[in-house]
Amino acid sequence: MAQLSLRGIKKRFRNVEVLHGIDLDIGDREFVVFVGPSGCGKSTLLRLIAGLDPISDGEFQLNGRTMNAVPPSRRGIAMVFQSYALYPHMDVYENMAFGARLMGLDKAEVEARIAEAARMLRLEPLLKRKPRELSGGQRQRVAIGRALVRKPQVLLLDEPLSNLDAALRSDVRLEIAKLHRDIGGTTIYVTHDQVEAMTLADRIVVMNLGRIEQVGSPRDLYQTPANTFVATFIGSPRMALLEVEREGDALALPGAGSVTLPRLPGPEHGRLTLGVRPDAMRLRRDASANGYAATVIYTEYLGDNAYVYARLGDGTLVSVRTGPDESYEPDTPVHVEIALEGAHFFSRETGQRLSA
Amino acid sequence: MPRLRLTGRGLWITVLIVPPLAFVALFIVYPIISAFAYAFFEWKGMARGQFVGFDNFYKVLFAPPYASYTWNAFRNNVMVFFALMVLQNGVGFLLAYCLWRGLPGARFHRIAVFLPVVLSTIIVGYMFKLFYHPLFGVVNISLKSVGLGALAQPWLGQDTTALWSLVVANAWHMVGFPALVFLAGMQRIPGEILDAVRMETESEWVKISKVVWPLVAPSATVVFVLLFVGAFNWFEIPYVMAGLDGSPYGSTDVLGLLFYRTAFGTVSSSTQNFGMGSALAVLIFLFIAAVASVITVKLRAREIEL
Repeated sequence: MAQLSLRGIKKRFRNVEVLHGIDLDIGDREFVVFVGPSGCGKSTLLRLIAGLDPISDGEFQLNGRTMNAVPPSRRGIAMVFQSYALYPHMDVYENMAFGARLMGLDKAEVEARIAEAARMLRLEPLLKRKPRELSGGQRQRVAIGRALVRKPQVLLLDEPLSNLDAALRSDVRLEIAKLHRDIGGTTIYVTHDQVEAMTLADRIVVMNLGRIEQVGSPRDLYQTPANTFVATFIGSPRMALLEVEREGDALALPGAGSVTLPRLPGPEHGRLTLGVRPDAMRLRRDASANGYAATVIYTEYLGDNAYVYARLGDGTLVSVRTGPDESYEPDTPVHVEIALEGAHFFSRETGQRLSA
Repeated sequence: MPRLRLTGRGLWITVLIVPPLAFVALFIVYPIISAFAYAFFEWKGMARGQFVGFDNFYKVLFAPPYASYTWNAFRNNVMVFFALMVLQNGVGFLLAYCLWRGLPGARFHRIAVFLPVVLSTIIVGYMFKLFYHPLFGVVNISLKSVGLGALAQPWLGQDTTALWSLVVANAWHMVGFPALVFLAGMQRIPGEILDAVRMETESEWVKISKVVWPLVAPSATVVFVLLFVGAFNWFEIPYVMAGLDGSPYGSTDVLGLLFYRTAFGTVSSSTQNFGMGSALAVLIFLFIAAVASVITVKLRAREIEL
């Protein structure tokens, strides 16, 4: 059982406030990913949960017990660090045994737990090696093993894949997902990579500038982003944001013509932001199409499909997913059609989603 | 072997290396070798007498009364070494740990701790001699002012306290050096490793003994070896504070003083004897070189790559 509850968590370093009041509940056995750009406060929040830095304001509860003043080693929380932070003077076995012994476990129990972790993480042949004799991926597994032998209620991972090469990254990502399923504890994972967030998380917490922008399942975030930040942060290539002028059902884009979309949300008249992902746009060559005028810049061919980058009449650059066989020469004039079911509408002033 | 052309780079290297090499040869290598040679001769003042083989070595090590002086001084050096190991390196390590963990005032103390090191040993010696003065020394006055007058004593005037008083003066003077070296060693430890330990224990003792100490081992090697060399070459502090005779009653006599006394003589105790003095110097040199090499090799084996 592990339920975390964060209430009004603030963090100040001297006079600079880096977290402005975080409210979040994390349920038992949940895999939650904190994602956001560098400096958004996600790692800081993780360190507050771990107890490595003091909470300036607000309350953090674990299973109903206030943890603000509890030292890190007594929170029942284990952490895997970005640099792995293995003890360089201890071999793999000792690295894992160190924390377990400090918990007061007897020798047999320590050995049993290490054996189990070593089997799960395929570390058996490495137990007598020193960290410097291991590859990056192996160190990573030792760091996870060291956390697991403590049987923590909550496992924290701080950008655990960022020091691995791309090929290894997806393997380890799979392993972490599988591990979470097998062990069934609560896991909090910090990353700036939205692909990691999307593939691993039960729930994603999108953070920006010390605030939570949106909390939801990967599907929620992709399909109904709460604001333009989440809309552009999740999904690759990014969602295009078009600053349009609404007149009834018509959405005019300066210099690119007008598109008619039925059943629009929000007020009848005024300026709003139209968000469209690459897969919700289609390119048309004929000028009569219900689309915005644009010029092709270049095409990215990816094998199973292609992305065409085009500049709209108002200067906005959009990427449009097309079939792999369609080809557009640079400077071709085209029209960009928009599928209503893939269109998102945001307030121009607040950036918040306008619901239908 | 490529021929070293005396142009451009080769010339520069030659110009930069030859003078210091010549300097070292003239003022360090030559005196050491000549001391070796002197030790095998009988000396009458400045005049070299007969070749006497190992006679001088035998005298300083085994013949009364010289042997008792030598072994007394050696015993004092050993005690000084262990006392400084605890007082100077131990306290230095703890200071470094406090500075590293950034306790309040760490920025000020980082400088304050190191300041005495740059003072001249002579100044420190005279200053502590005043501190220890039985009547108006700050130590006894402080003790009396807090009601511990019974503990006030002539620190440098009795054989039970004299050597330890010198050790304290030396530790105060030099503690900044091990502190600085240990601090540099600690700052090489990645912050996440300390975080990782904090996730597993809140005991400062476990953090220090199981993680921090093993990881600063490379700094410890340097500090230990230098302390060993310093302790067995100890001269200035006892010379300034207790005098050439290691008073009272030889309780502060160390090999450095004994060597100086034997070789160059003092007003009170003896005439100069180059032969025995050189023999002592050679023995001290060989002892320090041998033990320091062993310590270095042993400790190097414990060092860890971060």
